Amino acid sequence: MAQLEIVDVSKSYGTVEVLKNVNLSISSGEFVVFVGPSGCGKSTLLRMISGLEEIADGEIRLDGKVVNRVDPARRGVAMVFQSYALYPHMTAFQNMAFSLSMAREPKALIKEKVGRAAEILRLEKLLERRPGELSGGQKQRVAIGRAIVREPKVFLFDEPLSNLDTELRVQMRAELIQLHDKLGTTMIYVTHDQVEAMTLADKMVVMNGGIIQQCGSPLDLYDDPDNKFVAGFIGSPKMNFLRATVEAVHGGRITVADVGGGGRFDLPFAGFNASVREVELGIRPDYVEIASEVGRPGTLETKVAFVEELGDVTYIHTDTASGERLVIRSNKARYRGGAQCVASLDPAGILLFDRSGARIRSTH
Amino acid sequence: MSASLTMIGQRTQAAGWDFSVWTVLKWAVAICLTVVAVFPIVWMVNVVFAEPGVPVSINPRLVPTSFSHGVEKIRMIFTETPYLRAYYVSIAYSLLTIAGVLIVGSMAAFEFALFEFPGKRPMFAVVMLSLMVPSAVTLIPRYLLTADLGWLNTMQGLVVPGLASAFGLFMLIQFMKSIPKEMIEAARLDGASHFQIYLHVALPLSKNALVTLAILTFMQTWGNFIWPLIVAPSPQLYTVGQVVGLFNAPFSHVTVDVVMAANLLAALPPLIFFLLFQRKIVEGIAMSGTKG
Amino acid sequence: MIEKKHIPHLLMVFPFMALFAVFFLYPIVSGLIYSFHDWNATTQMRFVGLGNYERIIASRDFKKAMWNLGTYIVITVPLGIAVSFCLALLVDSFKGFWSNFFRSAFFMPVVLPMFLAATIWRWIYTPNIGLLNTIRGWFGLESVQFLNDTSTMLYSLIAVDVWVSAGFNMVIILAGLKNIPKHYYEAARLDGASKLQEVFYVTIPMLYPVLFFVTTYGVISALQVFDTPWLLTGSSFSDYGGRQNALLFPVMDMMGRGFGELKFGQASAYGFLLTAVIVVVTAGMFAFRRKGYDA
Repeated sequence: MAQLEIVDVSKSYGTVEVLKNVNLSISSGEFVVFVGPSGCGKSTLLRMISGLEEIADGEIRLDGKVVNRVDPARRGVAMVFQSYALYPHMTAFQNMAFSLSMAREPKALIKEKVGRAAEILRLEKLLERRPGELSGGQKQRVAIGRAIVREPKVFLFDEPLSNLDTELRVQMRAELIQLHDKLGTTMIYVTHDQVEAMTLADKMVVMNGGIIQQCGSPLDLYDDPDNKFVAGFIGSPKMNFLRATVEAVHGGRITVADVGGGGRFDLPFAGFNASVREVELGIRPDYVEIASEVGRPGTLETKVAFVEELGDVTYIHTDTASGERLVIRSNKARYRGGAQCVASLDPAGILLFDRSGARIRSTH
Repeated sequence: MSASLTMIGQRTQAAGWDFSVWTVLKWAVAICLTVVAVFPIVWMVNVVFAEPGVPVSINPRLVPTSFSHGVEKIRMIFTETPYLRAYYVSIAYSLLTIAGVLIVGSMAAFEFALFEFPGKRPMFAVVMLSLMVPSAVTLIPRYLLTADLGWLNTMQGLVVPGLASAFGLFMLIQFMKSIPKEMIEAARLDGASHFQIYLHVALPLSKNALVTLAILTFMQTWGNFIWPLIVAPSPQLYTVGQVVGLFNAPFSHVTVDVVMAANLLAALPPLIFFLLFQRKIVEGIAMSGTKG
Repeated sequence: MIEKKHIPHLLMVFPFMALFAVFFLYPIVSGLIYSFHDWNATTQMRFVGLGNYERIIASRDFKKAMWNLGTYIVITVPLGIAVSFCLALLVDSFKGFWSNFFRSAFFMPVVLPMFLAATIWRWIYTPNIGLLNTIRGWFGLESVQFLNDTSTMLYSLIAVDVWVSAGFNMVIILAGLKNIPKHYYEAARLDGASKLQEVFYVTIPMLYPVLFFVTTYGVISALQVFDTPWLLTGSSFSDYGGRQNALLFPVMDMMGRGFGELKFGQASAYGFLLTAVIVVVTAGMFAFRRKGYDA
């Protein structure tokens, strides 16, 4: 169990800056997920915590102590790699025991510790097998076991599930949550998959371009994103974005026009800075409906591009008059490409962003 | 419709006949070539395992005729000539060279293949360039250096100058490059020191390449003729190659069958090695050829 | 520049690099220095500039050796590769056990130490009672002094070298053959290519890099030919090269000057001349290859 603080950490390879002034604090026992597109710096940050990557600028503190210069093996962190990184010439037992035998622990203690980890992960019967004789999921469990055996203060996971097939991934996710509950240790997990991040995280850290975009609980980030990137990154299908101009600001409400090339909306909004004209509306497909009548306020005329029928729900991908994509969630309507349809946007689901992508929040 | 069917039938039949001629020819050629490749060795065996005194010319022996005479010749060679001692020398020379090449080469290959450190690029470039330089160029100055060190007629004089094998290094680097970096990092997190990573992770993972290199080094050392000839001319350190050379010398007074027995004994270790490890040898050569 | 964290890396490469520097780099440098001096290891070194090089190039032995070498390479390399290629195709046309069997059989000569192969062949070539002359006798042909008749000596040597090295190249070509994706042959078959056409239009072009390697390597090692002719002729520093120097080659000539006549300066210069030839030839081959690829 440990508290981790990342203070002003930057990293660059030559002229390429991969991390810019990252600040983050992780409290003891939290399950934190770093998520972002590839190249966003999440893996680098994780590797800096592990000690595999040098910290040139800034500080990383573990339980209040700066660990910048501490050898990776002594930091009390354990890492689970995407490729599992199991040693093919050793049995599962030997793999899990490797760190202890490097530390010259007595045989009996090694046996006990590995045995305990194997029990947690239900690996007892597989301990004498070599990685070549294990399935992907089993290998992953051995890799986790190797980390558990070290009794680390912090577990680090680097995209550990991306080599597994979908079904196994869902199952392993559940196991990881249980493991976290059981051990109560701080865990830091890196993934590019926002669904994985949403399901696992106590605290989700969305990164892009070497910068932490937002961090908080998954639902906070989903409902209340700080910027257009976070809004667009979380949720599937993605949030719709429509450019608009602010026409009028009047007593707790604003009127936006030219939405999707012609729509006009009246939204409740307090404390709007009247000098801002150009905005972007963000709305999740859940808040968009097929409207029956044309011309009602809060509706847009669109043209159907294609339809995704997923069984329980149907997503209708439409194009507005301005050429922007608007996805509508519907559970009954049947539409075909090329058809006209009217979309009705629920004002409660509309978020406002300025043209730089930053969120404009209402002050209620 | 039926006409076209018959035509297809005829064509496949013709093709089948064609195929069998091809097969017969193929087998005939393969067997002839096998005879050409293997016969000299078989012939050598037959000459050894034959009664002495029968001129070789009467018939090129197709089968061994006398097992006991062959054994007797071998016993004679071992007891009455310095052959046994030469065997020890050759084996020591080979084993020490193998051990040295593997240890020194694998340590360097581990670094070149998996890490960055100052001077890596120029060092690597120089070693690879050395593969282009004919060994003949360094032979004389290397001999003179070994002489200056006072290593003539010593085991270290035989072994040490040949340990920095650029070929071996290259081969091991090629292989170790395929070790995933994550595996090294995992070991580092597990608290293994740099040397322990080499010993417990990199070496076991390179076992195949090491075995192949060991075998190739053995073959090469065992057959090495010129270096022992100039560096260890003293009878004390005669290698098998030199002793066989004595037997082969035009004016040596031993008979053909004894000469052949000496040769056969020299051929035995590499032949046995080959039969035991042929897959590894062939793979090793193929690897160095297709990747290099 | 060198930080503390680099020390373990440098320690690990040190043994190799130290041995390499002492037993490779130093000899090269000292060899270069010797090559400009007149020196026999016991007398004082005397600077002679390019004298050694001039003397070598002017010498009859050098010309003879180079002439022999040229003829030898022109025949041995193409012949050797053609044989290896055919052997590889042959082995590849068998499956399973027999493929392995023939591969091992054809590879056998490679395994023998060179000094042994040479001995065996000396007996095969022996006049009157040797294997080859016995067989000639069956057909009523008279005995030939294969290794003592200037008209046959070079070809006798070539036969031995092809016999010895064909298996080695075969294995490399075989690996190359296995790497050719099957669908190229399937496509050729669908296009109606015959077996021979497959070889010329699929196998050889696809094998180009491997054949290039084998050729280059073959030329480089042929330029250094030494063991076989040495062992087939007198095999001593007082007697080598055979009758009328018909089997005299540059490395042998160099060794003779060094260890036979103790002219170490000249021998060193000879080594550098040879290196120059090898570098030029290799560079030429690589230049030629690039053209081939661009076309």
